[in-house]
Amino acid sequence: MRPLDDELRSALRRAEPPAGFVERIMARLATQPAPRARWAQVIQSFFRMPKLRWAAVGAVTCLLLVVGFVQYRQRQRAQGEMAKEQLKQALHIASSQLNLARKRVQVLDRRSPES
Amino acid sequence: MTAATQRKEEALARAAQGDRSAFEAIVREHQAMVFAMAYHFLHDGARAEDVAQEVFLRLYQNLRSIKSPVHLMFWLRRVTSRCCIDAVRKDPPDRQVSWEESLEPAQAAGTADPLLSRRLRRLVASLPENSRMVVILRYQEELDLAEIAEILAIPINTVKSRLQRSLAILREKLAALLEINAHETS
Repeated sequence: MRPLDDELRSALRRAEPPAGFVERIMARLATQPAPRARWAQVIQSFFRMPKLRWAAVGAVTCLLLVVGFVQYRQRQRAQGEMAKEQLKQALHIASSQLNLARKRVQVLDRRSPES
Repeated sequence: MTAATQRKEEALARAAQGDRSAFEAIVREHQAMVFAMAYHFLHDGARAEDVAQEVFLRLYQNLRSIKSPVHLMFWLRRVTSRCCIDAVRKDPPDRQVSWEESLEPAQAAGTADPLLSRRLRRLVASLPENSRMVVILRYQEELDLAEIAEILAIPINTVKSRLQRSLAILREKLAALLEINAHETS
């Protein structure tokens, strides 16, 4: 008897399936829908084309720049509005203080002729 | 890249684009490998054909994810292994193999004793599932331990120990069988 390794190699040789195997598979395939690409595969295949890849990179960069610029302008406008409000409040406080001072001066003026 | 490899890559690309004749060529090229793996695992021609068909139908659905002919071989071996183990777990063979089922598929003529080969195939089919697939990948597909470990997604040391244990079992059972035969003939 040959070594077990050799006997196993002989015993476990590849074997052809029964006749008509391929035809049976193809018949089953005919009843199945065509394979659909998954989203990941669609995206991958899109990025395999160099021109489209660079166009996509450009578009994304432009979009990021526009979004960044809009956000910058919005922040600046908000800061301006806040400064305006603070100035209004400061003027209001100053005006009320001036009114108070004017009233005291008037009271003093009224008292001075009597004295 | 050789002409044969280039031809295989082209067939794969055409099949992925929906060319059924290219897919048919792929099935014809790999049918013996897939069917034999299933047959040696299940030791049942009808179930082996069911499993092999299932593997090729899955391949058709996943053609776009196959990157190269080498990847195709790896994918087929991995999916066949999983389908075989699933088939046994789903429907364990709790009955004797009938005369019709025991009819063996055509194999290339070798120098080995056909009776001994048949006995060995039966003994392999009686090994525990995980060890059985290791033996089939080692001796049918002639893969090294690292390749088997990758296909079955297990550590290389596990492959090594399963293979050693399986060979010890096979040696023991074969010796016992040959002894019984010797007694019967004498």
